[in-house]
Amino acid sequence: MTLFRLAWKNVVGSAFRSWVVYLCVLLVTGLLFTSVLLIGGTRDSLRLIQQRLGADVVVVPEGTEAGVESALLMGRPVKAWMPRENEDKIAHVPGVREVSPQLYLASLANAPCCTAEMLVMAFDPQTDFTLTPWLRQHLGHGLSAGEAIGGSDVFVPYGEEHLRIYGSEIDLVGSLERTGTGLDTALFLTFETAYQVAEHSRTEAIRPLEIPPESISAALVRIEPEADPRVIALQISHEVTKVTAIPASGLFQTFRRQIDGLLRSMLTLLGAASALSLAIVGLVFSMAVNERRREIGVVRALGATQGEVLRTLLAEALMLALGGGASGILLAALVLYLFRDLIVVSLAMPFLFPALPLLVALVGGGLVAGLAGVGLAVLFPVVRASRLDPAVAMREQ
Amino acid sequence: MTARTAARIPAVAIAILAIVIGVMPLFFNCQYDGKTLVLANGREVPMKCYWTARAALAVAVPLLAVGLLMAFSRRAETLRALGILGAILGVMAILLPTLLIGVCQHAGASCSLVMKPTLVLAGILAIGVSLAGVAVSGRREEQTP
Amino acid sequence: MVRLDGVTKTYPLGREKMVTAVQDVDLNVARGEFLVITGRSGAGKTTLLNLVAGLTRPTHGRIVWGDMDLWRMPDAQRSRLRSRRLGFVFQFASLLPSLTVAENVVLPTAFGSHRREPAVYERAGELLRMVGLADRRDAYPRQLSAGQQQRVVIARSLVNDPEMLLADEPTSNLDAETEREMMALFTEIHATRGVTVLMVTHAPQLVPACARLVEMADGAICARGAA
Repeated sequence: MTLFRLAWKNVVGSAFRSWVVYLCVLLVTGLLFTSVLLIGGTRDSLRLIQQRLGADVVVVPEGTEAGVESALLMGRPVKAWMPRENEDKIAHVPGVREVSPQLYLASLANAPCCTAEMLVMAFDPQTDFTLTPWLRQHLGHGLSAGEAIGGSDVFVPYGEEHLRIYGSEIDLVGSLERTGTGLDTALFLTFETAYQVAEHSRTEAIRPLEIPPESISAALVRIEPEADPRVIALQISHEVTKVTAIPASGLFQTFRRQIDGLLRSMLTLLGAASALSLAIVGLVFSMAVNERRREIGVVRALGATQGEVLRTLLAEALMLALGGGASGILLAALVLYLFRDLIVVSLAMPFLFPALPLLVALVGGGLVAGLAGVGLAVLFPVVRASRLDPAVAMREQ
Repeated sequence: MTARTAARIPAVAIAILAIVIGVMPLFFNCQYDGKTLVLANGREVPMKCYWTARAALAVAVPLLAVGLLMAFSRRAETLRALGILGAILGVMAILLPTLLIGVCQHAGASCSLVMKPTLVLAGILAIGVSLAGVAVSGRREEQTP
Repeated sequence: MVRLDGVTKTYPLGREKMVTAVQDVDLNVARGEFLVITGRSGAGKTTLLNLVAGLTRPTHGRIVWGDMDLWRMPDAQRSRLRSRRLGFVFQFASLLPSLTVAENVVLPTAFGSHRREPAVYERAGELLRMVGLADRRDAYPRQLSAGQQQRVVIARSLVNDPEMLLADEPTSNLDAETEREMMALFTEIHATRGVTVLMVTHAPQLVPACARLVEMADGAICARGAA
C-alpha cells in the first residue's frame, strides 16, 4: 500500500465526483487545445502560402485584391486582368529584381474531378521563381506543354489517364504538399499550355476558355535584398496605373482581421469555460474534502503526516487532471484531424494540422496547463484538509 | 452499483453512436447531393459513398442491438461479450469509408468532408466505450459478494 | 510508558463559550498494562485518549512518551510515533470505503518509510485469520456487518506491531454477543502479544481481571481501582 495506490482507489471509489472533475478538465483542455491548434494551424497555413508565393510584393489589378486573396487562400477562381506591358513597367521600378506574371483561370464546373470550378494558375517558366524551384527539386525539370502539377487534393479521376480541362487532355505530373488552403485544389500549368487549352476549347469544350490577349492576372515581384517591400510597393502603385501593389506582409489583411475576430471570440469562450470548469473542480473538491473529514482524521490518527495527506489529496486531483486532460486533448486532436477539410471549407479559413514534433510539444503544454489549473483550483481545500486537527476532524459527522 | 447499472452508461453511449453511424451517412453522400457516376454508355450509377452509406446501416443495426442488450443484461460475462462485439463493430465503422469501400476522392464532396470523418470518429468512440464497458463489467464482478 | 502531567484541554464551543473537556489530569500508563477508562457521556474519556495519542494539543500540561514531550516534537515526528507505536480502534466505522478489507488492514503501512515490502499483505492475511475474516479479504467494508468491520479495524490496529492499542468504546455499536467476542479478542491480544491496552468502555465488566480501572467525571479522574 502506497499513497499513490490510496489516491487511485479513492478516485475509483467515488465515481460521481471523479467523473465531474474528469469531464471539467476534459472540456477545458479540449477547448484550449482546439483553440491553439486552430490559431496555430491558420497562421501556419498563411505562412506557408506566403513562402510558396516566394514574392516580396504582389501586384494585382486595382479593385481585385480581395478576389486574388480569395483565390490564393480558398482556391476560388477570380477574374482579374491587367495589361501584360505592366510587367515591363514593374521591372523598371528601382529596387525590383525579378518580375513573374501569372494568369488566374477557372476550370469548368462539374468537371469529373470537381464539384465546383477549380482554380487554374498559369505561370511563365522563363521568369517564374515560385513553382520552378519545386519542379526542379521534385521532377528534375520544368513543365512541358500539356503538363501540369496539382495541389495535394487534385487527382486524375479513377479509370482515366489524364485530366480534362476545357476538352484538352492534361498530364498531371506531380502534386504539391498540402497547405491547408484552397491552393490544394488548384492546378498549375505554363502559359504555353494555358494558351493551347484556350485555343482547343473553341472547338472541344462546352464553353471556350477566354484569356484576354496580352493580359495577365497578377505579377509576383522579388526585390533587391536591401530594399523595403513597402516602399517598393508604393513606388509600383505610383508608376503603374490601375494596379495595387501589396507587400507580402500585407497580404491577406482582411482575412487576418476576420480570423483575429473569430479567435478573440474563441478565447473569450475559452476563458469563460475554463474559469467555470476550474471553479467547479475547486468546489467539488471542497465538498469532497468536507465529506471526508472524518476519513482524513482517521488517516492522520493512523500515522499520516500533514504532508502525506496533502500529497494523497493532490495526487487524486492530478490523476483526474491527467486523465481528463489527456482525453480532452486526444478528442480535440482527433476531431480537428478528421474534420480538417470541413474546417477549411465551412469556416472559409486555411488550416494546417501541425507536424508531429510541434503536436507533441502542444500536447505536453496542454497537459501541463491542465495539471497546473487543477492543482491551483484544489490547492486551498486540500491544504486546509491536511491541516485539520485529527481529533476535531473525527468528531465531525 | 451493480454490473447492470454500471453497464447502462456505455450502453446508452453505444446506442447513440449506432444511430449516428446509421443515419448520418444517408444525408452526407453524393447521391443525396444529386451527383452520380455517368458510365460510358450513358447510364447513371451511384458513387461508392452511396454504398458506404448503405453498408454503414449493416454496422449500425447490430451496434444498436449491442447497446440495447447491454442496457438490459445482468451477467458480467454477457456484458464482456457484448463489449467485445461493440469494439469489433466500431472497427468495421472505421474500415468502411477507408479501406473496405471508401468515399469519393474529391476533397470538397460531402462524403469526404463529413461522412468519412464522422464514421471514423464514431467508430473510434464505439471501440473506446465498448472496451470501457468490458473493464467496468469486470470490476463490478470483483465487488459483488 | 506514557505520562500525563497536569493536562487540561479546553476548546471553544461557538464564539463565546469555552468547554473544559479534561481538567488537570495526572495519569501514568505502564508498559504492558490493560487500563480501562469509564465514566458518563461527556466526562472527557475520548479527549483523554486523543491527548495520549497526540491527536489534539493540550491547553496546559505535558504528555511524555518515554522521555519525549509529545508537543515539543514536530508534527511529522508525532505522526511517526502514532504510525509505529500505536494502534487505534475507534467507536465509529473507520474503515476507508474505497479500500478492500486487506487494503484497509495494511493502510497504516502506507505512511512513513517502513514496511513497504510485499510481506505486509501476508501479515494482513495472518491478522485476518486471527480475527476470523481471512475469507473476506477482497470484500469492501459495505459488504460486512458492523461486528465484522470492527474485527477488521482490530486487525488493522495490529499491522505495525504497536506497543499500545487505543480503543475508544470499540463495542458500543455491537450486540451483546458480538461485544463479548470482541472483548475476548482484546483480552487475548493483551495476553499473547504483551500490547499495552488503553480502552474507553461502557462495559467494564467484560475487561480482563488484571485491568486497572480509572473513572472520569467532568473532565477529571474521580476514582482509580482494579477491574
